[in-house]
Amino acid sequence: MKKLRWSDLSLVSKIVIEVGVLAALMFTINMLFYVRINNSMQEMDDVYASNAQITELGQVFEDVQDSMYQYLKVKSSQALMDYYQNEAKYRQELEKLNDQNIEDSVKLLEKKIRKMSESYLSCTAGTVAAKRGRNVEKYKLKYDESLELYSYIQSSMDELNKQLFKENSQTYGALRAVMKYLEISNTVIMLLGVVCGMILLIMATRGMFRPLTNMAETAQLVGQGNFNVKMPPTDAKDELGVVTRAFNTMVENLGLYIARTKAGMEKEQQMMERELLMETHLKEAQLKYLQSQINPHFLFNSLNAGAQLAMMEDAEKTSIFVEKMADFFRYNVKKGEEDATLEEELEAVDNYIYILNVRFAGDIHFSKKVECDVENVRVPSMILQPVVENAVNHGIRNIDWEGHIELSVERWKDHIEISVRDNGQGMTKEQIEKVLSKKIHNSSSEGDSTGIGMNNVISRLELYYEQDGLMEIYSEGEGMGTEVVINIPVERSENNVQNPAC
Amino acid sequence: MKRKPVYILCIFAAIAVLIYMTGESYYSGITKKAGLEKKEEKVYQYQYDLIVDSPDSQFWQAVYASARKTAAQNDVLLEIMGPDRGTSYDKLDYMNMSIAAKADGIILQYNGESGLEKAIDTAVENGIPVVTVMSDAVHSRRQSFVGVSDYQLGMAYGEFVSSYVDEDTEKILILQKRDIDDMNESQIYTQISNAVQAASGKNDIRIKGRNLLSTGTFETEEAVTDIFQQKRNIPDILVCMDEETTECARQAVLDFNLAGKVKIIGYYTSEDILAAVEKGVISVTCDVDTTQLGQYSVEALTNYIKDGRTNSYYNVDINFLDRAAVEKMRREADTDEKASVE
Repeated sequence: MKKLRWSDLSLVSKIVIEVGVLAALMFTINMLFYVRINNSMQEMDDVYASNAQITELGQVFEDVQDSMYQYLKVKSSQALMDYYQNEAKYRQELEKLNDQNIEDSVKLLEKKIRKMSESYLSCTAGTVAAKRGRNVEKYKLKYDESLELYSYIQSSMDELNKQLFKENSQTYGALRAVMKYLEISNTVIMLLGVVCGMILLIMATRGMFRPLTNMAETAQLVGQGNFNVKMPPTDAKDELGVVTRAFNTMVENLGLYIARTKAGMEKEQQMMERELLMETHLKEAQLKYLQSQINPHFLFNSLNAGAQLAMMEDAEKTSIFVEKMADFFRYNVKKGEEDATLEEELEAVDNYIYILNVRFAGDIHFSKKVECDVENVRVPSMILQPVVENAVNHGIRNIDWEGHIELSVERWKDHIEISVRDNGQGMTKEQIEKVLSKKIHNSSSEGDSTGIGMNNVISRLELYYEQDGLMEIYSEGEGMGTEVVINIPVERSENNVQNPAC
Repeated sequence: MKRKPVYILCIFAAIAVLIYMTGESYYSGITKKAGLEKKEEKVYQYQYDLIVDSPDSQFWQAVYASARKTAAQNDVLLEIMGPDRGTSYDKLDYMNMSIAAKADGIILQYNGESGLEKAIDTAVENGIPVVTVMSDAVHSRRQSFVGVSDYQLGMAYGEFVSSYVDEDTEKILILQKRDIDDMNESQIYTQISNAVQAASGKNDIRIKGRNLLSTGTFETEEAVTDIFQQKRNIPDILVCMDEETTECARQAVLDFNLAGKVKIIGYYTSEDILAAVEKGVISVTCDVDTTQLGQYSVEALTNYIKDGRTNSYYNVDINFLDRAAVEKMRREADTDEKASVE
């Protein structure tokens, strides 16, 4: 059987036991007082009982003498009967007296009275017998003898009474002292009992409610947001034990929940921040366009009109050029705010190259190799054109040899690789590092640019795919050309695509 | 939570028990002091009565102490009683009482009181052995006598009295407490008288015996004072045969300014008497061996009860102390005391 522990008892049981113990303590103390006071009262009652007893004995003794005297005087049968009755009564009373040789003056006196009384009674019996036998001389002699004994016994009884009274007075005095002592000691014991009981009760109750107080304090801390505090573990099976364990579990779960919520919120916050940044960058790009082209809509509408005019005038090349121009700007305006498909991006690059080739009389040799489906791959808008623009402006513009730009799109297992390679001036490692770490800023004064720099492209790629290092730049040195590779993660970019094509 | 209250409970319990025990011991102290608690009562097989003239006197208290000691050894409870206990009873009454109370034995200081011999006989008839002490009831059926015989005492006193007799000695008074009609028949008187006459070689010294046997209170003192008031009859040598008379005589000699003039031959060695011997107020005092007296009297009774017979006479040593002897005794006592302290 499992040992029953105090901490396993229910609160009600504990309180009942404690109050019970206190009540038992008080009851015991009261019983103790009762017994002690009762004893003393009884002793008090008995104090003068011995005197009363001797006085009664003396009375019976006198009755014996009187009844004998009456009989001797009138010789009536009533007197004789009285005498016998008194004699029997006196003998009975005598039985109560001590008859041993005890070293105590009272006891010795009792023995003496008893023995003398026996002699006296035999003498009175002789007197009565002589009287009945009408032996006048003998009964008178015997009467004198018994009278003498009567006086001896009487004085002995007086002496005994005196001694008893003296003794009893001492006893009475002592009893009074005892009563006084009892009064004080009872008060002290009662006070002690009350104090002990109160201390015990306070301690036990405090012990019982300590977990509750601790819990209140802990709950307050938890309320202030501290989820690391806990109640000391307990295996008590009472209500408080149960509540304590439940509280601990609750605090633990609350902590976990809060942590989870916090992480979620942080993530959300990060996402929001990212979106905000993207928006900022886009805004920046748009602003740049707006700065450079006062009204793109007006511009590309005008260009369309120009293209139609050229068509009406049968200037086909001009018409195509102007149309491409219009398409390029429309794409810029339209896609400036959202992402685009890779196909659209490639188209924008084509338009751009066409425009440049018209401008620079076909100096730019651009080739494109697309090895997979680019329709459903979504990418941030305006990321390829700035790269190609860079390849034109910083790669092949000022070279002595024929400049080529190759654009290839290749599908790998988990990403799509877009490569823009030129055979231009090439880059030093420092330059590559600077570009990738976004330390080179495009100067807005650079007149021959669409306005979107590499920084902007890298940043938008990172934000869009939530991943670093999507752009890589390879160059073997000056005059050796440059390859800019953009790795588009497939999962993200094909999010909305049901059947990837490559 | 569990340990602490139990621990404190134990401490409180211990304190409570301690207080209770202290209280109880105090309580029993009070009750014991007052005799509320039953004393251990020793029960004796026999009970003897010691009936003497003056139970409160130092002499008889000394005898009683010695007798009690011997009595206790023999499983006997001894009670002392006598006339000067504030009652109107005389020794005969006490004898009758002892007989009526069926004592197991009676030790009686016989003084010749009338009816006393008969009472002795009654006691013996009732199976109560009687031993007389100090003076004997020769004609009774007493079992034994313990003390100094009158002859022996008379011889010893005679010797000392005669040593104080000189040419100026005219009157010698012997004070006794005997119920004898003619003091001249007393052995003591006779012995002293013979000794004095032999020593002085003349017959004109008046030796007179006087009986101070009294039944009333203060009569001894009155009688002694009376002697000194009759200036003509003031004795040259006063022989006292008991403690009380000796003390009264000493006081009277001082009161009448006769110290040194009247030579007192005293009896017993109470502190007052010894002091008077040292100062020369009392010339010499007779010391009876109270220890022997008490011891022998109880032994005599016990022997009789147990064996049915006993010696009819136990002799007790006597010793006379004069100033030199008392001083020597004091010195020895001092030396003993010092030795015991060291």
